[in-house]
Amino acid sequence: MTPHDSNNAHDNNNYAADQVARASLDHCVKCNICETHCPVSAVTPLFSGPKFVGPQAERYRHGESVDHSLDYCSSCGTCTLVCPQGVQIAELNSQARAVMKADHMPLRDQLISRTTLMGMAMTPMAPVANAALGFKPLRMVIEKVVGIHRDAPMPTARTQTLTGWLKKRKAPTKAPTRGSLVYFHGCAGGYFEVETSKRSIEVLEHLGYEVIVPKQSCCGLAQQSNGLFDQATAQILKLCDELRAGGKDLTIISASGSCTGMLKHEAHEIMGVDDSRLADVSTRIRDIMEFLLDLHDAGELPTNFKTIDITVPYHAPCQLKAQGMGQPAMEVLKLIPGVKAIESGVTCCGIAGTYGLKKEKYEIAQAVGQPLFDMVKATNPDLALCDTETCRWQIAKSSGVRTEHPIYLVHQAYGLS
Amino acid sequence: MSRVVVIGAGLAGLVAATRLAQGGARVVLVTKGTGGLPLSQGTIDILGYAPERVTRPLDALAGFAAANPGHPYNLLDADAVRLGVAYLRELAGPEVFVGDPEVNLQLPTAVGAIRPSAVVPAEMAAGACVDGARFLITGPGQLKDFHPQLIAENLARTQLPEGGRLAARWAQLDFPARPGESDSTGLTFARSLDDPAYRRRFAAAVRALVQPGETVGLPAVLGVSDASVLTDLTAQIGAPVFTIPLPPPSVPGVRLNNQLTAAAKAAGVRIIPGAKVIDHRSSNGRLLSVISATAGTPREYAADYFVQATGGFESGALHLDSHNVVHETVFGLPLVGADITELVHGDYWGPPQPLFKVGVGVDASMKVDGPYDNLYAVGGILAGATRWQEKSGEGIAVASAVRAADAVLAAIAATDQTPARDDATQGAQA
Repeated sequence: MTPHDSNNAHDNNNYAADQVARASLDHCVKCNICETHCPVSAVTPLFSGPKFVGPQAERYRHGESVDHSLDYCSSCGTCTLVCPQGVQIAELNSQARAVMKADHMPLRDQLISRTTLMGMAMTPMAPVANAALGFKPLRMVIEKVVGIHRDAPMPTARTQTLTGWLKKRKAPTKAPTRGSLVYFHGCAGGYFEVETSKRSIEVLEHLGYEVIVPKQSCCGLAQQSNGLFDQATAQILKLCDELRAGGKDLTIISASGSCTGMLKHEAHEIMGVDDSRLADVSTRIRDIMEFLLDLHDAGELPTNFKTIDITVPYHAPCQLKAQGMGQPAMEVLKLIPGVKAIESGVTCCGIAGTYGLKKEKYEIAQAVGQPLFDMVKATNPDLALCDTETCRWQIAKSSGVRTEHPIYLVHQAYGLS
Repeated sequence: MSRVVVIGAGLAGLVAATRLAQGGARVVLVTKGTGGLPLSQGTIDILGYAPERVTRPLDALAGFAAANPGHPYNLLDADAVRLGVAYLRELAGPEVFVGDPEVNLQLPTAVGAIRPSAVVPAEMAAGACVDGARFLITGPGQLKDFHPQLIAENLARTQLPEGGRLAARWAQLDFPARPGESDSTGLTFARSLDDPAYRRRFAAAVRALVQPGETVGLPAVLGVSDASVLTDLTAQIGAPVFTIPLPPPSVPGVRLNNQLTAAAKAAGVRIIPGAKVIDHRSSNGRLLSVISATAGTPREYAADYFVQATGGFESGALHLDSHNVVHETVFGLPLVGADITELVHGDYWGPPQPLFKVGVGVDASMKVDGPYDNLYAVGGILAGATRWQEKSGEGIAVASAVRAADAVLAAIAATDQTPARDDATQGAQA
């Protein structure tokens, strides 16, 4: 079965959840609040905006959407978050786009959504891979043949995977005092953002938890956002099995903000995955900063932090904000003496997973992120903080400012680095 | 430090949350989505019709309240409104508003009617409809919902509320917001006008139309992020400029929402969007927590006090079921004014519809008449007002928000012992 199989893709958009999302259409009062927040339509007339392609065009949709500017939606999810009436605008638009692309899914979109594959292929030859991706003539060929923009941010391959580190490191000397957690590292956290995973695990162990890291694969988010619902569904259910194997009823922690969002709600609400394994994982998973803030609210987070004198820009990614828990990292950072975290106040960095990689969308993604890049450079030219991987790569590439997960400062403030 | 949960991010919710945080409370604001400000005209209406047109709203307040038992202005007098408006102006910043809560301006609308409002964005002040005024109404033909001819001709044929007439003519500009775009919203134009180069070209196009002695009426699209658009355009056009608010997305409303949200965050309010309240816990007549629908699993927000700023029907906080029964959807609170058989009468242009006066009842401190001792209500959920008809929405919102916040802070001070006072002092300084 291939994604070119249009019958299959259409079937896939007839599931119950599609009907549930469409039922929310009647709540739309055409107030335009989503339009005021959309980061894409703000910078280009090529996208007519979430209300126009969503609640408006959706009424005329029978199979394919009548508004093809839908392809320019980045699926950042901001419209759903800000809707005062509870309309699932982003979900509707993601579903409509999957139908629209079903007959002619670009090879490029299939390739860039295979995140684990990229990591596995690049790690053993990291220096070569990094050099190759930094080599302009090669990137121009890739742009021409595949459609990935020559200047788009690419992850840096590491010589050691997280699994490699876990195998080689010394076992924690302190016996756990708070029970066990399962850690979900995501593809990026396993291959590219290994340091984020290491620091997250070390902070959790410092707090007294035993951290179980089961063998795990991709959540399928990039496939979902590219409309490859079949493959993404198979991926996420495989991942759920793997995470469940880590321990029954244990809290699952992740520092991959967008993959966490995929597990918490997107797989269910966008792709209609209705499976008890997903329901089990989605109710147990917590973003690491969310988890630390919950501990603090319960009076269980040690705050014997070292002073770190730093003013640092913090950008909350769209897919983290979409989880409806505010910006927990901001609250945790406030607990560290000396840290002055400045919220970016910018809706989106532009990358939206794989959107900003695509040659026809690269300029739009850069324009979306420009106010953020400017803010980051003006606030601290040496360090920025952001919870998700592709957003960090985008900010770092376009602003030139090193960008890390907020757990870095927590790790440092506990004296672990 | 005492914890307060505010539900709702409209004008009343943002003002109450900010005042509470500045007073030392630890405030979480949960909201389903963005509040109603981007739908508003950005003006502070106190009392426009009682039911006849009002020229001095605060002078008229007591008489209006007496004639309307159950109206929030029976609990919130002129001083409460003065306090609320002054606090709002402080939060928004000194340059944002002009006008005087004591006096209504009479301002043109997008259909060329004349609307009373007291405290208005600085860019609207020169639009006061007074005898002998000479207006040129102009705007881009590529802007949705702005029709200079309709506005100018309606204004010119209207006997002004305070007597006399004004002269108004119109001209349409051919001036897209972005190349090739033929029907942009006001927000797109506002973003373009944030750009000084676009602004220069726009000013030159307007300047070519103006005759000596005219005041220029433009659509309310004078920038989202750049505060200098009004002064810059006025200087470049070489004539006084005012704006006429448009249907949503409303640029002055978006700006006010941005300013008040920033003020709330600066005061330390933790804002949680995408968090519809779906449940709550209570014990012995006190609310303990509210529970929000959140991705993955519901989240619980415990607090010592709760402020409900959910709005009414327009935001789903009130719901009329098919049996003609009105429900308050967040806590299931008892409602005032719902025990009427004909909630909606058939006379469309007639007296206020009873349905829209339904809401929760409160005491003078804005504490809800209901099962919980620690729940306060502010803004559009309060019973007794037909806000859009009276033009009273913002006056009620800011006065009730300040009253409730101060009542909660007083209750905290009364019950807390000395350690909490230290916390409060620190919070106020932050």
